[in-house]
Amino acid sequence: MSLFRIFINQLEEDDEDMATSKKMITREEWEKKLNAVKLRKEDMNTLVMNFLVTEGYVEAAEKFQRESGTKPEIDLATITDRMAVKKAVQNGNVEDAIEKVNDLNPEILDTNPELFFHLQQQRLIELIRQGKTEEALEFAQEELAPRGEENQAFLEELEKTVALLVFDDASTCPVKELLDLSHRLKTASEVNAAILTSQSHEKDPKLPSLLKMLIWAQNQLDEKAVYPHIIDLSTGKLEDPSE
Amino acid sequence: MPTTTSSSASSSSSVSCNNRQADVFSRLASSDPEVKLKALREVKNQIIGNRTKKLSFLKLGAIPAIASVLADADDSDKCNNILVQSAAAIGSFACGFEAGVQAVLDAGVFPHLLRLLTNPDEKVVDAGARSLRMIFQSNQAPKYDFLQEKNMEFLFSLLNSENENVSGLGASIIAHACGTSVEQRVLCEAGVLEKLVILLDGSLSQREACLESLATVLKNNPEAVSDFVGLESGRYFNSVTELTKDRYPRTRLLSCLCLVVIYNTSPSYFINMGTKSSLITTLLELLNDPGQSGDDAALGLSCLIAEKEDLQQLAYEADAIKNIVDILRTGSELQPRRLQGLFLSLAELCSKLEDCRCSFLSLQVLDLLTNALRHKDADVRAAACICFRNAARSVKSLSAGRFNSDHVMLPLVQLLHDPSSSVQVAVLGALSNIVLDFSSPKSSFIEYGGIKQLIELSKSMDPNARCSALRALRNLMFLADNKRKELFCSDVKAQGFACLISDPEPPVQEQALALLRNLVDGCISSIEFVFDEDGLILDTVGRQLRKAPQAQMAIQGMYVLTNVASGTELHKEAVMQQLFPQAKAGSENFMLKFLQSDESQLRSATVWTIINLISPSSPGAFDRHVKLRNAGIIPQLKNMVNDACLDVKIRIRTVLGQSMSFGDNY
Repeated sequence: MSLFRIFINQLEEDDEDMATSKKMITREEWEKKLNAVKLRKEDMNTLVMNFLVTEGYVEAAEKFQRESGTKPEIDLATITDRMAVKKAVQNGNVEDAIEKVNDLNPEILDTNPELFFHLQQQRLIELIRQGKTEEALEFAQEELAPRGEENQAFLEELEKTVALLVFDDASTCPVKELLDLSHRLKTASEVNAAILTSQSHEKDPKLPSLLKMLIWAQNQLDEKAVYPHIIDLSTGKLEDPSE
Repeated sequence: MPTTTSSSASSSSSVSCNNRQADVFSRLASSDPEVKLKALREVKNQIIGNRTKKLSFLKLGAIPAIASVLADADDSDKCNNILVQSAAAIGSFACGFEAGVQAVLDAGVFPHLLRLLTNPDEKVVDAGARSLRMIFQSNQAPKYDFLQEKNMEFLFSLLNSENENVSGLGASIIAHACGTSVEQRVLCEAGVLEKLVILLDGSLSQREACLESLATVLKNNPEAVSDFVGLESGRYFNSVTELTKDRYPRTRLLSCLCLVVIYNTSPSYFINMGTKSSLITTLLELLNDPGQSGDDAALGLSCLIAEKEDLQQLAYEADAIKNIVDILRTGSELQPRRLQGLFLSLAELCSKLEDCRCSFLSLQVLDLLTNALRHKDADVRAAACICFRNAARSVKSLSAGRFNSDHVMLPLVQLLHDPSSSVQVAVLGALSNIVLDFSSPKSSFIEYGGIKQLIELSKSMDPNARCSALRALRNLMFLADNKRKELFCSDVKAQGFACLISDPEPPVQEQALALLRNLVDGCISSIEFVFDEDGLILDTVGRQLRKAPQAQMAIQGMYVLTNVASGTELHKEAVMQQLFPQAKAGSENFMLKFLQSDESQLRSATVWTIINLISPSSPGAFDRHVKLRNAGIIPQLKNMVNDACLDVKIRIRTVLGQSMSFGDNY
C-alpha cells in the first residue's frame, strides 16, 4: 500500500516539532494527496480475479475474464470441482463431499489426518442433528473412536462432540456451538483450503490482507496526525477528522 | 459414552459392517462394469484417511481382489473409470501404511500400475503415478536398478513429463531408491541434476519432490555437490537457500535438509556466517511444527551440528537448549522419532561445550532424561543415554555429585539389561563418565551391583559392548581403594581376564589393559592380581607386547609393567622376565621398538618402566641395569637426551642419572 507509505514519509519530512503535536490534515488536503497516487487498472483486476477464484465464484470469474481480459491464475474448471465440495459440506452432505474430494485428489484426505477427522466429526454432528441417535453412536464407535485412540487431541474433540448426545435439549449443552451452521462453514473452509494447497494455490485471497493493512496503517498514522478515516470498509467513505 | 445401549449397538454394527465388507468382494468380482465400479469406489472411499479400515480390508484380502480387477481391465476407453478407481484404491492402501505396501507388492500389481503411465487419458496417468509414488515413499519400495540403461531412459522420460504427478514420481524414485555413490555418479553423469532443478520452479509437490531427491543425490558426494552449486552460477543453490524461508513448513524443512547434506559434504560453500545461523534458526523454528516436519527437523538439526563446535556454539547462542527443553516439557506425547532427534540434538550440543552442559543441567532436566530412559522405543532410550554421557563430560557437574542420586542411577543400571545392544553400548558410555564422580565415597552404582553387571557385559558377543563395559570398569577403578578393587578381582578369574587382554578386537585389548593398569596402581598389594594362577595375567601382557601391537594398546601395556615394577624385588624381576624371555634370546627387544615410536606417550611409558626397574633403592637394581645396558636399551636412551617431548626428556635424564650412580658414564 504505497499510498500510506507516501503519507507517513511525507509527515516525517515535515515539521521538526512533530514530537509533541499531531499534524492536522483537512479533507481537502487529504483528497488532493489521494488523487496524486497512481494505481494500475491491471493490478485491481488481478485482485478482483484472485478474490473470485479463491472464493470459488466460477461464473463470475468466467464473465470477468471475458469482460476485462484478465487471466485467472488457475484453471477455472478446477474451481467447479472445489466449489461442489464446499457446497456439499455447507449443506451438511459430508459423505458426498468426501467422495468428491477423493475423486479430485485421493491424497488430500490420506495425508491430512486433522482434516479427515474434522470431516468425520461433521458427519457425526449431522447425524446427531437429524436425531439419528443410534446411527450416530455406531458411527462414532466405528469411524471416530479409532482416530481418537491414535491422537489425544482428536479424542478430546470426539468426547466434546459425543457430549451433544447426552443432553436432551441441545440448547443447554455447553458444546452446542458444534450444532451451529457456522461449524459447517468452518469445516467447509478447511476443506477448501486443503484443496487449494494441493493445487499449489494460495488459500487466502489478497483483498482481506490489503484491508487489514489499511486498518493497521490508519492506527499507526493516528499517533502522528488527525486526518479523514475510512471507517466503513464496504463503502470506503472518508469520515471527517472533526467527527 | 453410554455403555449398555452401545454394547449391543456395536456388536450389531460390527456384524453388519463385516457383512457389508464381505459383500463388496462379490461385487468386485462381478462381470457388470457398473457394479464393479461402484464397489471399487466404495472401498476407496472407506479406506482413504482411515488406517483401521485399510487394515481390516487388507485382512479380508481386498488388495489381491482389486489387483485382479486392475489387471483384467483393458486399456479401452470404457475401462478408464475402473482403472482410475482401482489405481486410487491401491494407492491409498500404500499411502503411509507399510503392511499395505507389502500386500500391494505381493499382489503383483506393480507392472500394471506402470502400464497406466502410458495411457492416453490424463486421469488414468495421474492415478497410476500417484499410486506408484506412494509405493516408492515406503521403505519396502522395490529396488530400482539405475545402472541399467533402459531403467535410466524410463526414469528420464518420467522427469521430462509435463504431468506433475509423473515428474514427481521420477523424483520420488530417485529420492528413495538411490543408495550408493555409484548410483549417484551414474545419475549425475546422465544429467539428472539439470532435470531436477527445473522442478524447483514448478508446483508445490514438484518442489518438494525435487528437494528430497537432490538431498539423496548430493549426500556425501563432493563431485555432485560441486556440479549442483555450479549450475547456472549458483542460481539453484540460491533458490534452495531462499526456500528455507518459504511459507510451507515442509518446503522449509526439505530445503534445510538439503542444505544440511551440502554442508556436511562440502562445508566450504557456506563461508557466510549468516547462512549457517539462519539454517540453524529455521530448523529450531521447525521443531515446533506438530507434524512430520517437526520430527524430521529434530534429526536434521542433530545431523547438522554433529562434531561441529562452531555450529554448536551458534545453536547455543540461538537459545537452542532452552527451546528444545521447552518442547520436551510440553505435556503432549511426542513421536519417538522426534524425541530421538531432540535428545540427539541436546547430546550434540553438550558434546564439546561446557557452557552448553552447564546451561542444560541448570534447567532441572534430569527428570526428563530419566523418563526417556524408560521409553518403549529403543532409539529414544539410546539417545537419552548419549545425552547423559555428554552432559556428564562436565567435570563441574560430576564433582557436584549431580549424577550420583539413586533416582538417576537406578534406571541407568537397569538399562544394562536392555534387549537392544545399541542401548547397552550407549548406557555403558554414560556410566563410564558418571562413575568418575569423586564427590562422595559412596557410589550408588556399586551399591546397585553395577560391577557384576559390567563384568557380565565384558563377556558379551558384541565387541562394542565388551569394549564399553571395560571402559566403564576402567574408569570405576581409577584411583580406587582396595575395597572397590576387591569387588572386581573377587569376581573375575585370571583366565577370563587374560582372554580379554588377548581379545580379537584391538580396542577391547586396549581397554582391558587400561583397566589392569588402574587395578595394579596404588598400593603394593594390588599388584598381586597379576600373579594369580601362576602369573597368567602378567604372562599374557608380556606376550601381547611382544606381538608388535598398536600404539594405544602398547601404551597401556607398558604402564601396567611400570606399575608392577614399582613394587617389590620379586615384582621387578617378574617384569624383567617378561622383557627378556628365555626363548626369544635372539629377537629384537620390543622396548627398543617402543623407544623409537612416534607416539610420545609410548616412549614415556617405556622410560617409566625402566626408571622403576633400576631405581637404586632396590637390591637387584644393579644387575637389571647391566642387562638393560647389554640389550642396548640404556645406549638407546643416551641417544634420546634431546627427545622432542619434554616429559620424555625429563624421564630420560632421571634414568641417566640413575645409570651414572651405577658407575656408568655418558
